[in-house]
Amino acid sequence: MSYPPEIASQFDIPDLEKDKLVGEVIRYILFKTEQNSGCPIRREELTQLITAKGYKQRNFPSFVIDEAKSKLSSIFGYEMRELQRSRPSAAANTGRASQSQQSVGDAKSYIIISKLPSDVYGKFVEDKSSVHLSGLTFVVIGIIHLAGGKITEENLWHHLKRLGLHENEENHPKFSNTKQALEALVQQRYLQKEKVNGPEGNIVHYELAERALDAPIYDKIKEYVAQMVQKDATPLEYD
Amino acid sequence: MAALSWRHHTLIQSLLSRGPLKEDDFASIFSQLTVKNSGSRKQQERKLFNEYLKKINAEFSCVQLELRACRNQYDGHVYYGVVNNVEDDQSKLGTKYTVPQIAFYKGIVEAIIHDAEGEGCIYNTAALNIRLESQVHGATDSQSQGGAVQIPPAFKNFSMSQKEKTLDQLVNDQWLCSTPEGKIGIGVRSFLDLRSWFRTNEVPSCEVCNEAAIKAQLCPNEACNVRLHSYCLEKKFSGQRGEKVCSGCGTQLQGSTVKAELVEEITNADVHLQNSQQAESSRKRSRRSNREANADIDDTGDDSSLTSATMSKTKRVTRSSGRLSIN
Repeated sequence: MSYPPEIASQFDIPDLEKDKLVGEVIRYILFKTEQNSGCPIRREELTQLITAKGYKQRNFPSFVIDEAKSKLSSIFGYEMRELQRSRPSAAANTGRASQSQQSVGDAKSYIIISKLPSDVYGKFVEDKSSVHLSGLTFVVIGIIHLAGGKITEENLWHHLKRLGLHENEENHPKFSNTKQALEALVQQRYLQKEKVNGPEGNIVHYELAERALDAPIYDKIKEYVAQMVQKDATPLEYD
Repeated sequence: MAALSWRHHTLIQSLLSRGPLKEDDFASIFSQLTVKNSGSRKQQERKLFNEYLKKINAEFSCVQLELRACRNQYDGHVYYGVVNNVEDDQSKLGTKYTVPQIAFYKGIVEAIIHDAEGEGCIYNTAALNIRLESQVHGATDSQSQGGAVQIPPAFKNFSMSQKEKTLDQLVNDQWLCSTPEGKIGIGVRSFLDLRSWFRTNEVPSCEVCNEAAIKAQLCPNEACNVRLHSYCLEKKFSGQRGEKVCSGCGTQLQGSTVKAELVEEITNADVHLQNSQQAESSRKRSRRSNREANADIDDTGDDSSLTSATMSKTKRVTRSSGRLSIN
């Protein structure tokens, strides 16, 4: 494996060692993705892998992560998409918005997405036994999008009930525990949960999180929802 | 270093996403991806297919993975899958199964391979009665000093309903399989992954193909240890006019129930199996010198893989304690 000489020479580390580290980072990403069913992997976890072996050079972790990204793409055809961890909008509404936004800047995380064209993916790669999960994801994101990006828990379940999904269902033939299925979407960073102290007690809100707001995905969702609703793709007022 | 094309990526991702695929399905994906020139013969296609796999494995070597084939011993079909070759910290993560679940799986696999009749399966109830404590290192070691072995509470409290659920999950994920008679056998993922583990655990091999003979026909002569897979038996004696006799002792062997068309499929598939076997045996030669030091074990594949942390412990237990008795 050849590294561009001007970059590689900054680190006084033999190529063989670099290759091994890159391999380990790739394996970590693949295995972790399997273990946590596609929840984003934080950048800190990857840098820790590298620094824990004693490599203290400043830009070395970035170098290794970039190499891993490029190999995941060339060997597997996976894109290592970077997501910025977003904060619930309530925090942004307080006066301290700008400071808290900046400290969030370092909270990068990664997911792997197939780069194959969607027809090829759908025909050969897609695991037909898990399509119900994609369906649920799309429906929930669609509902929240139509609600203006944020919705109360009660309202969300009201709409899901109309599709046959009940909050307290534990033996759904496909999802088993439907509440857990929704929780999984929060873990995967499609949604985020927020508890708000209202006059009537705690109210839980769901809003779209970084994975759903990621540009290519979000645009597609808006497009599909607009097709269904047959109006133009602007959020509707929900009261 | 030429990068792999989107076609290679499709093959790889299909296996990672959908799990091990039957040869027919995998080959069909391949033919749909590669534009066929009019007049390209089956041999050329086969050659191209092998080139593709070779190229993929060359790239995979830097991440210690391998795209390989194995035969499901219950139906004789060849399956392809992506397998992990090295047990390390990263691969230990790659599973959704808990430690007691994995111990349960190990117990079942051991019980199956120790089946004296070569049936390669055990009753559902026998599987559920497997005790996890025997999977704890040193618990059945005859040389243990009688000191208290720490059995994790999770192992002791692994209830029957948890076992049932785990069994269902393992069958669903293809680590184990359910035979037509309702018994439990080794699943495709296990065949792909545990190939060298079977060897190191001295599972008798088939005379013809040299793979572990888990579901195989035994020579009727009780003194003779020869085993043959039904499909290997059929292949060996197809077209021969002589009687089917055991190569070890000359006793007559029964015919098998494998269909004729399977025999042809096996002949074609064997080329690729042999290629991967050759690669494996040459690796084994270089690894043999390190074996005592590293105890390298083929670990599990990518999707829903298991840790093999307890596997190495199991290995030692099996050697010292011999057959596991299940009742």
